[in-house]
Amino acid sequence: MVELALQPLKESDEVTPERIRKIIDRHEGALGGLIAILEGVQAQFGYLSEKALGIVAQETGRSLVDIYGVANFYQSFSLKPRGKHLVSVCVGTACHVRGAPAIVSEFEQRLGIEVDETTEDKEFTLKTVNCLGACALGPVAVIDGHYFSKLKKSDIEKLRHDAQEGFDRAGDEEDRRIFPVDVGCPFCNHSFMDSGFYINGRPSIRVTVSFGDKHGWFRMSSLYGRYDIFSEYEIPVDTVSHFFCPHCHAELIGSWECPMCSAPMVPMIVRGGGTIRICSRSGCTGSDGHMLDLR
Amino acid sequence: MSKLSSILDLEQLHQRLFDDSDHEKLRLVVCAGTACQASGSNGIIRVAKKHIIQKDLLNKISLRITGCQGFCEMGPFVLTEPQNAFYPQVALDNISPIIESVLDDKHVEELLYRDSNTGKKCSNLEDIPFFKNQKRTVLGANQKIDPIRIYDYIAQGGYLSLAKVLSREDPDWAVEEVKTSGLRGRGGAGFSTGIKWELLSRQPNGKGKFLVCNADEGDPGAYMDRAILEGNPHSILEGMIIGAYGTGATNGVIYVRAEYPLAIKHLTIALGQARDLGVLGENILGTGFSFDIDIVRGAGAFVCGEETALIRSIEGQTGEPRQRPPFPITKGIHGKPTAINNVETWANIPVIFRLGAREFAKVGTKGNSGTKIFSLVGKIKNTGLVEVPMGTTIGEIVFGIGGGPPGDARIKAVQTGGPSGGCIPVKKFDLPVDYDSLAKAGSIMGSGGMIVMDENTCMVDVAKYYMNFLKDESCGKCFSCRKGTQRMYEILDGISKGEGTLEDLDLLEELAIAVMDSTMCGLGQTASNPVLSTLKYFREEYRRHIVDKRCDALVCKELTGAPCQATCPVGTEAWRYIAHIGKGEFEEAYLAIREPNPFPSVCARVCNHPCESRCRAGESGGEPVAIRALKRFITDRVDPGAYKPMRLVKSDPEMPRIAIVGSGPAGLTAAHGLSLMGYKVTIFEAEDRPGGMLTSAIPAYRLPREVLQKEIDSLIDENVTLKCNSALGRDFTLQELLDGDYKAVYLAMGAHKSRRLGLEDEDAKGVHPSIKFLKAFNLRGESLAEGRVGVIGGGNSAIDAARVALRQEKVDSVTILYRRTREEMPAFPEEIEAALEEGIELVTLVTPAKILSKNGNLEGIECLRNELGDYDSSGRRRPVPLDGSEYPIPLDNLIVAISESSDLDCVAGSGGTEIDTVDNDRIKVNPKTLCTNLPGVFAGGDVATGPSTVVEAIAAGKKAAVVIDRYTRGDELEQPASPLVPKVYIEPGAPVDEEIEASRPRQPEISAESRRRGFDEVELSLTQEDAIRESSRCLRCDLEFTRPNQDEAEKSTAESKPA
Repeated sequence: MVELALQPLKESDEVTPERIRKIIDRHEGALGGLIAILEGVQAQFGYLSEKALGIVAQETGRSLVDIYGVANFYQSFSLKPRGKHLVSVCVGTACHVRGAPAIVSEFEQRLGIEVDETTEDKEFTLKTVNCLGACALGPVAVIDGHYFSKLKKSDIEKLRHDAQEGFDRAGDEEDRRIFPVDVGCPFCNHSFMDSGFYINGRPSIRVTVSFGDKHGWFRMSSLYGRYDIFSEYEIPVDTVSHFFCPHCHAELIGSWECPMCSAPMVPMIVRGGGTIRICSRSGCTGSDGHMLDLR
Repeated sequence: MSKLSSILDLEQLHQRLFDDSDHEKLRLVVCAGTACQASGSNGIIRVAKKHIIQKDLLNKISLRITGCQGFCEMGPFVLTEPQNAFYPQVALDNISPIIESVLDDKHVEELLYRDSNTGKKCSNLEDIPFFKNQKRTVLGANQKIDPIRIYDYIAQGGYLSLAKVLSREDPDWAVEEVKTSGLRGRGGAGFSTGIKWELLSRQPNGKGKFLVCNADEGDPGAYMDRAILEGNPHSILEGMIIGAYGTGATNGVIYVRAEYPLAIKHLTIALGQARDLGVLGENILGTGFSFDIDIVRGAGAFVCGEETALIRSIEGQTGEPRQRPPFPITKGIHGKPTAINNVETWANIPVIFRLGAREFAKVGTKGNSGTKIFSLVGKIKNTGLVEVPMGTTIGEIVFGIGGGPPGDARIKAVQTGGPSGGCIPVKKFDLPVDYDSLAKAGSIMGSGGMIVMDENTCMVDVAKYYMNFLKDESCGKCFSCRKGTQRMYEILDGISKGEGTLEDLDLLEELAIAVMDSTMCGLGQTASNPVLSTLKYFREEYRRHIVDKRCDALVCKELTGAPCQATCPVGTEAWRYIAHIGKGEFEEAYLAIREPNPFPSVCARVCNHPCESRCRAGESGGEPVAIRALKRFITDRVDPGAYKPMRLVKSDPEMPRIAIVGSGPAGLTAAHGLSLMGYKVTIFEAEDRPGGMLTSAIPAYRLPREVLQKEIDSLIDENVTLKCNSALGRDFTLQELLDGDYKAVYLAMGAHKSRRLGLEDEDAKGVHPSIKFLKAFNLRGESLAEGRVGVIGGGNSAIDAARVALRQEKVDSVTILYRRTREEMPAFPEEIEAALEEGIELVTLVTPAKILSKNGNLEGIECLRNELGDYDSSGRRRPVPLDGSEYPIPLDNLIVAISESSDLDCVAGSGGTEIDTVDNDRIKVNPKTLCTNLPGVFAGGDVATGPSTVVEAIAAGKKAAVVIDRYTRGDELEQPASPLVPKVYIEPGAPVDEEIEASRPRQPEISAESRRRGFDEVELSLTQEDAIRESSRCLRCDLEFTRPNQDEAEKSTAESKPA
């Protein structure tokens, strides 16, 4: 739901024909075909292992040569395992003339690897990309989805450090970007604030969650910008749950779909105005934690 | 969101949304394009929300979060409506005051945008030159639209173009309109969009037809498509739906690169909303017309921008182009007719129908209608997206909108068209930007990347960069592209390493043309453009790399070494003495300074330190190492006796005799060098003491006389005879020297003649040429100035004259008059600062128009005020005198210090020997050998280059000694060059405690009060502590070349360990 960035990749992500079949079913027949399938496999398993490619070949009935050809042709596919953190340094023309080569070599030195390599501790993979489209701010790098602009050599060591700490853990309590919100039900207008259970030193937001045969409470931080959650039952990753108002028991659902995964978004009314929406799929980052809409 | 079931429904919805949107409502607009997000706009948005909620302002002010608005350099920025105030680079703390100011209908004055060229504050977006000089037909909408809200788009008239087309019920009309508009494909090739549509509409429609939006923006340096995808996705959808109606297409595909996650997100939302609303999908607006669009994510391959490769990629295969015909228009995706247009082309379609085709065609030039968006990036002040009518000149874009260069470095070229394009040099900046003009100049429009390059950009490196890119991106299908790009890269790589030959250039050209002629797709056919265009316009740079083994931009590593050393005219290993200082090895440091430079103490005070201007520590906002101050620290504390010059030959009375004219740094250095080789040298000096400009022009408070004297004395040894009061032309002639027993003559008389203003009455009493004024004081102790003194000029000699005048007893006030702005004054900034501190007044942007005099006595000067006008070819704005702005400045003395030249009458009268000159200003020499047209006569320093720096004169002197030695031996004068890279390994000292954030120390000075009337030296030495700390800021660029590699290092430590 809100915590993907904090969740370590699961060790048990074993490549099995069943899991790959599931990915193939999602894309087969559609435009993009094999490329979309391989993207799905890479998204799930981190890279395209020989085993995974073999299964894709078997399951689609295409030759492994074909599959390997496509996997090898496009830059976004990786045939080697990647580290926990992916560093992509832009070497587009605008970045190049503003000193990208020096940034690349600084990353190489600080990480002790060359481009397209992964550190021995499997923490970092270093890549270069031809253009990230943020040309006005070169030199640019993207680390774990976060853009960093106008880089100087002296910035690199801190970035390496912060990446390991996690960029999402920006929020210490003093962070001015984080602020408390009081929310309630869009249907019955009752407050969801639970002063019997504090998270981050504030009353938590409490609603009811339902998935599979589980039905219980779900609490989250009322600090906008913090993603801490507690749930009566652990929600498995990639599960779309239903959420209900603990007062009027109406399902919290509106017309918005998650822009990343198309699951329904869960609306809550903010005291003072506006709506917060969170994605109902656990592990999805589509609403960047949650989305506060003032309109 | 309920589905619209008719065109009328849509029109009514628009009307309702338009009426509902309170146009006077106060609003905060925050750009959240990718670039602004990278600059921190997400934090800004959160703080804005926090303020609005906590202060309960939701009914008073609203917040709009938009896609990219183009002025990325200024991100994160905030706009306010309806004020239209623009707040650039805002911080979190700025948000509350900005919101409060909007509520009070006021501005936060100190946060408003300021034009950096004029310093003018702009309270309205429209006043900002970056926006004012654009025509934002397509991009302008981004400010008004939250891209995840279809209602925002509709309120702005979105989908009404579609309604207009559908209500005509005539697909052919739609195609005809696009043809009439003259729109050409914005992806780069410029094919007529209308004709492409017409071709598709004529294809049989049995099994379906495809429309594709090419959003695989792969040109490095171009990101205008991204701004549209992220900021106004519905405009693309509307364009495609209209296209489908006109051409009968059944399926749409947006092929978007995976590197654009925000674009994919916004497109996905837009598609969902468009379907929900009934403007996309089955039975659009109840008309029975159906069309839907899928997103296909590209997986990263530049060649997929080529249409046949793109189609294969959409089909899920490797993106290799195929032979055409059949063209995609007949056989495309899965064999079905397919038309592909670029993002920007699609976004222009609704504009055409909104304005009307004829109206659209009025913008731009004939054959190139409409506007084009460029991504203006690289070495430019206002980076961002720029939309201008076709046919706007490059100069208007780069200087008028882009604001020129961000720093001191001059703009050299602009690269257009990405890897398929070419470089256009600054002298061609009056070229109109359209498909045809750019092609003629050897480049292409491409998708609209415009990468500005300055003198710190190496054109060989640029060509190599593109070739590296292309060899990697070549799909490999055509042999000539696969191998040709690889070989071109290897040749360029060799040149960049100093291993190239002049024949390589011919080979490159031949290969480039072969690749161009023999490959199948656009990638190969245009791959040679970067090479050919740089060879065409920048051949001299290639030659410098190949012949002189230098990369003047300091980019090619193997030819640059350490920038401090590479930029030093005498090749001082600054890194080396700095490393010694860090380890407390001061004597070694002195040797590293003295070895290449016979004037260490002089240069430690007055050198223009090119080493500092290119120091890597000073890049991207940092401060360069204070190299000159460190040199001063060493020369102040180490006894020059530590240096024992190496004499190559024992004193030999038989050695040839050499005559040197002039005892400035150029002459003395040559004499010293020749003396060490055993030559007998006679120096002829016109004045009564040696030193040239060092003695006669540079004031004692910058260069104390005893320091200078000591250094000069050390150079006049038993092989050198100095003859003062001996002026060429007055006391002897060049012919006499040649007829005498001198084997060679070296002319180093400098440039001692002040240029004249060219005004009437310039010889009035009280007007002094600056050199004459300085000499009178420095050599004879005469104070020529009194009362109110004016100084015209902006160089070091103007500042020297002003500061010397101020120190003269009868002077009341000193004013410097300069025609441009302070930033553009060529004098050292620290000298200007010191002059102001001492109480000298500086008046800029004035042109002297008339000398005011009475009975031959100066009374003052009449000046015109200047305004900054157009950009000249150097990229600086011309000072333009304003008519009728004359005003008088009463003066008792006027010192003219606008420049100097050499007085060449002395050689002209040299009895029949005609020496060649350049404009009778300086002596013409071969810069490599310093030879004049007369055999045995050499010239160097200011007399050959025009007024230049001390260290350049020293360099000329060193070169003269070498060349004259070779001349007397009968050797070849020109020697092959070799790269100047660090060779000696100096182990880094222990790392300094990182807790101390060292910053460049300010050199101590005596107080302005105590120096105002005196001639004591102003600048003092650094303390030892400061010097050592400053040395630790050196990035040690040398180590990359000298550090023993790991194995050797281990071996050597293993060996040195006791057994």
